[in-house]
Amino acid sequence: METLSQLIIIFIGAALINNYVLHYFVGICPFLGVSRRVETAVGMGFAVTFVITVAALLNWTLTFFILRPSAPLTQWVWRAAGGSPSHSVDLSVLSYIVFIFVIASSVQFVELYVRKFFPPLYRSFGVYLPLITTNCAILFASLEILKHMQDPLKVWGIGEALMLAVGAGLGFTLAIALMAGIREELDLCDVPAPLKGAGVALIVAGIMAMAFMGFAGVDKGVETALASFLR
Amino acid sequence: MLTGLIVGLSAVLLAALAVGMGHVLGWANRRFEVSVDPKVEAAVAALPGANCGGCGFVGCREYAEAVAKGEAKVGLCGPGGQDLARQLADILGVEIEETFPYRAVVHCSAEREQRLRRAPYEGEPTCAAANLVAGVQGCTYGCLGFGDCERACPYDAVRVVNGLSRVDYAKCVGCGACARACPRNIITMVPFKAERMLVVACSNQDSAGDVRAVCMLGCLGCRACTRVAPDLISMEGGLPSINYENYDPTDELLEKVLEKCPRKRMVFVGRPTEKDLAAVAGEELPESIQADFKTTVDDTEWRG
Repeated sequence: METLSQLIIIFIGAALINNYVLHYFVGICPFLGVSRRVETAVGMGFAVTFVITVAALLNWTLTFFILRPSAPLTQWVWRAAGGSPSHSVDLSVLSYIVFIFVIASSVQFVELYVRKFFPPLYRSFGVYLPLITTNCAILFASLEILKHMQDPLKVWGIGEALMLAVGAGLGFTLAIALMAGIREELDLCDVPAPLKGAGVALIVAGIMAMAFMGFAGVDKGVETALASFLR
Repeated sequence: MLTGLIVGLSAVLLAALAVGMGHVLGWANRRFEVSVDPKVEAAVAALPGANCGGCGFVGCREYAEAVAKGEAKVGLCGPGGQDLARQLADILGVEIEETFPYRAVVHCSAEREQRLRRAPYEGEPTCAAANLVAGVQGCTYGCLGFGDCERACPYDAVRVVNGLSRVDYAKCVGCGACARACPRNIITMVPFKAERMLVVACSNQDSAGDVRAVCMLGCLGCRACTRVAPDLISMEGGLPSINYENYDPTDELLEKVLEKCPRKRMVFVGRPTEKDLAAVAGEELPESIQADFKTTVDDTEWRG
């Protein structure tokens, strides 16, 4: 039960409290670039959710077995080479290059797959699908997973990684869809000339970020509620 | 030794990732290959590629896809015309209906000084802007002459001369860009069943007195033409309207309609006849033709 409540808290934390766009300010380029129409914004959001999940799962696997300090594979090679077990091999210097490599490849794969089996979706994504490759939210999710795997005694399992990725993706979808809804209304508003376009969009994003600060501390409440509920 | 191992492992890991991912993507590329219908490719090659949107689709490729699926008719491409329709029909193996090329017709014939009650207008020199202002000219239906249509035309076929928009039928391909650009909707697309077509060269719906007050040429709505050719011409509001479905270019009735019209607002447009050419044969052309620096890149204008 302890783990279940931890999973839920990781999910809520990634989706609302530490919303990637509005708290960490990652993934801003699609957040501003593709948030003109709600329809495309939601499409982009789900595409990012999908890619973030796939990439996080692949990267978790690589991190767990190879990249983290004293990972089983590297440790085995180290011992096979005759090193002393008290030393730990740490390949996490490679994390950036490996993560970007995996993200780029999985986006390519997803693009091929979608083009073959979901042509209407492919057409509505257009150029955005390959652009997800450079979406920093995805790299950030992988790096956050890596951060929680540094301590060999408290390593995240695949469930935690999955929850973080799905939560982050849905949080991104929520933020971009809300933004698109506001911007659709903004088109009809009398915006002062110097602020038209990007200016007012950034102001709106800032106000939204402040609104999302209201979620801070929700995790504590959820934790106590879950504890009494699951007991 | 630890450092050496880390360097070695890094190299091995990256090489393995590169080879592995390369194989996976290569396999996926072949496994998920999308075969494009060769008919679509052939149709795209046959289409003009102007992406003018005259067919009602976003571009030539979208139209080709719709045609290949049987969702659109083959004869919709204005620039391609009848030849292209036949070509597309060959490619796709479908029957073609007889279609006629659509050409733009300006339903106004008053030049600047023939339009009365004009007031000086010094705003933005576009029809769209001038149309928002009351009192630029008396006639609220007729051509404003600021050339939105001229700028919209991708084929250089529309020119504003002396305040009136005119179509060069040697260049017009019927994409309809001018008709969409005109804020007063006085340009329509007419199916040209022959090289010369009879059209109503006025858009004013008002009664005779009001028309006389604002225009020296406008149609008075006298119905003379509808009496001569009741099957062909009917009144719609204050204006006669020609039903081009019943239009027969060889009909002698057309000349008669022309004769009966008291204001001569029924006119032929299109290729001039031998007689018309002979009538202007004596006129001298200017020795040099000035370049007017029209650019299709933007619609900025030099205003001295």
